[in-house]
Amino acid sequence: MDFAELTTTPIDITSVARRVIPPECGATVTLDGYARKFTKQKNGATRETEYLVYEAYEAMAIKEMEKLIAAAKEQFAISHVCIVHRTGRLEIGETSVVISVAAPHRRAAFEACEWLIKELKRTVPIWKKEVYSGGEQWIEGDSAEIKTE
Amino acid sequence: MVIQALFFGATAQIIGTRKNEIVLSHKITASQLVERIIEDHPQLARHKLLFAINEEYAAGDTQIKDGDELAIFTAVSGG
Repeated sequence: MDFAELTTTPIDITSVARRVIPPECGATVTLDGYARKFTKQKNGATRETEYLVYEAYEAMAIKEMEKLIAAAKEQFAISHVCIVHRTGRLEIGETSVVISVAAPHRRAAFEACEWLIKELKRTVPIWKKEVYSGGEQWIEGDSAEIKTE
Repeated sequence: MVIQALFFGATAQIIGTRKNEIVLSHKITASQLVERIIEDHPQLARHKLLFAINEEYAAGDTQIKDGDELAIFTAVSGG
């Protein structure tokens, strides 16, 4: 029921969210992350992005997303999770990631969804390049260290 | 022994390739190998780097084995 996928084509959020509606569930919380045009920088200036390019270490990214799903299901009272991340070129406003969490009751689904996106941004090997009119830049995350088993 | 080194995003840009075959004659740990690659490509030192062996985050003292796939990349930025 759970799934983690990468795709190079536009993501249909509704079809991800409605792909699995378990009979024991009463709520699905879905995050629609999309490409932002204006990014406020630490120095207060605003950066204007023309488009984004995402790249993934595909085999590992799928494994890491599956680990997150398993960990979320242990920690929260939820029934199923789907994560779909886009790669390649994305225009402003296009969906880059969808995380959909179905649960018997909404609170656990909200909490699990927030935890999942936070962890995805820290551990799943996917990178974003912002392209501006005057150049481009690979964005680097803050995760200094990932715990190993 | 022969291992495959993989690079993505910023590290691929710096190194100028996505995949390199590395031939090793001595036993080496993952962090020693990463250090060696940084020595060959000093611009890497300016970045916060992560690495994985065979598609898993691994401890620095992990022994590299013949046929391993070592991926070196900057802190991830998906989402």
